Amino acid sequence: MLPIINVIFSSLNVHARQNFARATFQFVILFQPILLSFLLYMMLRGSNPVHAGEYIVVSSGLMNLWSSIIFSSAGDIDRERYMGTLECIYVSPSDFRLIFLGHVLGNLLLGLFSMVLSSICVVFLFGLQVHIENPAEFLCAFTLSILSFTAISLLIGLIFTLSRSARILMNCLEYPIYILCGLVFPISVLPKALQFIAYVLSPTWAAQLLRESMAGIQNIRIFYFDLIALSILILVYFLLTIVLFKKIDRRVRIDGTLGVH
Amino acid sequence: MDQEKQSEYIIEVQNLVRDYVSHKGVFRKKKHTVRAVNNLSFFVKKGEIFGLLGANGAGKTTTIKILTTLLAPTSGSVSILGLDPMTQAKALRPRISFVFGGERSLYWRITGRENLNYFSDLYHISNEIKKRRIPELLELVGLKDHADERVETYSKGMKQRLQIARCLVNDPEIIFLDEPTIGLDPIGARDLRNIVKMLAKQGKTVLITTHYMYEADEICGRVAIVNKGKLVALDTPANLKAQTEHTSVIELHLNEKDDALLKGLNQIKEIDQIRANHTDQYESVSLQCKEPRTVFPQLFPLIGTGHLLSVRTREATLEDVYIHYVSQSPH
Ligand SMILES: Nc1ncnc2c1ncn2[C@@H]1O[C@H](COP(=O)(O)OP(=O)(O)OP(=O)(O)O)[C@@H](O)[C@H]1O
Ligand SMILES: [Mg+2]
Repeated sequence: MLPIINVIFSSLNVHARQNFARATFQFVILFQPILLSFLLYMMLRGSNPVHAGEYIVVSSGLMNLWSSIIFSSAGDIDRERYMGTLECIYVSPSDFRLIFLGHVLGNLLLGLFSMVLSSICVVFLFGLQVHIENPAEFLCAFTLSILSFTAISLLIGLIFTLSRSARILMNCLEYPIYILCGLVFPISVLPKALQFIAYVLSPTWAAQLLRESMAGIQNIRIFYFDLIALSILILVYFLLTIVLFKKIDRRVRIDGTLGVH
Repeated sequence: MDQEKQSEYIIEVQNLVRDYVSHKGVFRKKKHTVRAVNNLSFFVKKGEIFGLLGANGAGKTTTIKILTTLLAPTSGSVSILGLDPMTQAKALRPRISFVFGGERSLYWRITGRENLNYFSDLYHISNEIKKRRIPELLELVGLKDHADERVETYSKGMKQRLQIARCLVNDPEIIFLDEPTIGLDPIGARDLRNIVKMLAKQGKTVLITTHYMYEADEICGRVAIVNKGKLVALDTPANLKAQTEHTSVIELHLNEKDDALLKGLNQIKEIDQIRANHTDQYESVSLQCKEPRTVFPQLFPLIGTGHLLSVRTREATLEDVYIHYVSQSPH
């Protein structure tokens, strides 16, 4: 157990620092939360809905979390491939998934920081009110949200070891999620087929749950249903990570996609 | 160790083949296959420094990647320490290590010491051993005074030395070095060769690739010359040099190109091989022969209007042997 924790922690430490030294990542962590909150604020200002503060905090927070955790973690794989370190860490005796979990958790910590930043922005800059009506349920939803983001990152990261063109795919991954998961508009405005995709993506459920627990839960049954749906998704993601790894590990070595030389 | 009793060889490569398949075109229409390693076989003993030589694209890096569990062979069999790198990677990985030359394979934004610390953690090295080993390794590669500076501030040579230290954090039994001295200054390269020799003295097995023939000659017990993925020669450097009958080389440096001379040289039957080379300062012509004495009388009358800058004879080096084998095999 101890070596496992040591590997995760060591990897978290190294990668959080490697990443924080990158200018793009600094932008994502420091400026993007402010920009996104501002954008959402401007969009909502005209309609002046109730719970605007909660809406903006949740949306910009999750958008940032998505950027910092998933986008950056998947990007890490590609960066390490070009740095030549991907091969080095891959052949170490530590399970690659644990090493990568360290990456993801490092990015998570930085992502949480930007969530706080965007909340501060909403409250102090725009003077909007942010309440948490049901704190216990909020905490529950928040924990699950983070777990689900971690699980997706692990899965996407592993898939990215498969291809040297991961970077192109990754660039297509960031913004569509904002729309697909109902972070900007309610998903009910999406076509049916897209709604289906939205419901297998955990941020959709996370956003719903967080908003509801902040604004005040209207129907506790629906809330718990959503909570269970999110938990099942997390389980599925983790299971996929475990099951697919063996296959991916074989494929990666057959295709030789870990290095660029 | 059981495995080593079974076989005197620590690395066994038999009929190894590796194809790379790439797809060209937007819709993956065209399949393109490159045979990087073609029926390669060789065996390495414990404690040996074994050189893998060959031109760019000969398949050296591909071979090393297969031996270090990074790449699957297309066919053939590989056994390292009695283990199959493809199916028994888990048992094999803690016992081996590799360096792909150059400045990569390190985290540039953290310090040298932190790099070693991180890789030690990945290899489950205990704190106790880490505390002792990391300073030792930094000392060994001469980075003690720069250990706490960020790697991005290091020179190329320092990065390369840090890579050597990195590959030793797990005290591996076999070390794979792919062009470890590329781009190093002469003293840096010599220091590195000394480290490699010392490691072999400690009983570690080293498989090394290099494009510097004098380097292979100096440190390798045996070398394999690979051309287009195929083995073309394998022996000790001394035997290889003796095997090729061309034991001497006459080198002429001329101030201008002399086609008549080259034509004339082709007529001298005592000359076994002619190589003409152009450099910024002069035109050089190398003649391989068994006995320079028999060539000289016929040589000088051929030199035309051009100015002969220098003539010298020397023994054939490993480089001559290498060129002999690599240029001879069909392209
Ligand atoms: N990932 C890859 N995909 C497709 N072809 C590859 C790949 N890696 C190597 N090759 C091809 O395989 C052949 C052998 O390459 P390899 O890198 O093993 O040679 P090498 O002997 O290490 O050369 P060098 O001295 O230049 O490092 C080359 O023709 C190369 O183009
Ligand atoms: Mg190479």
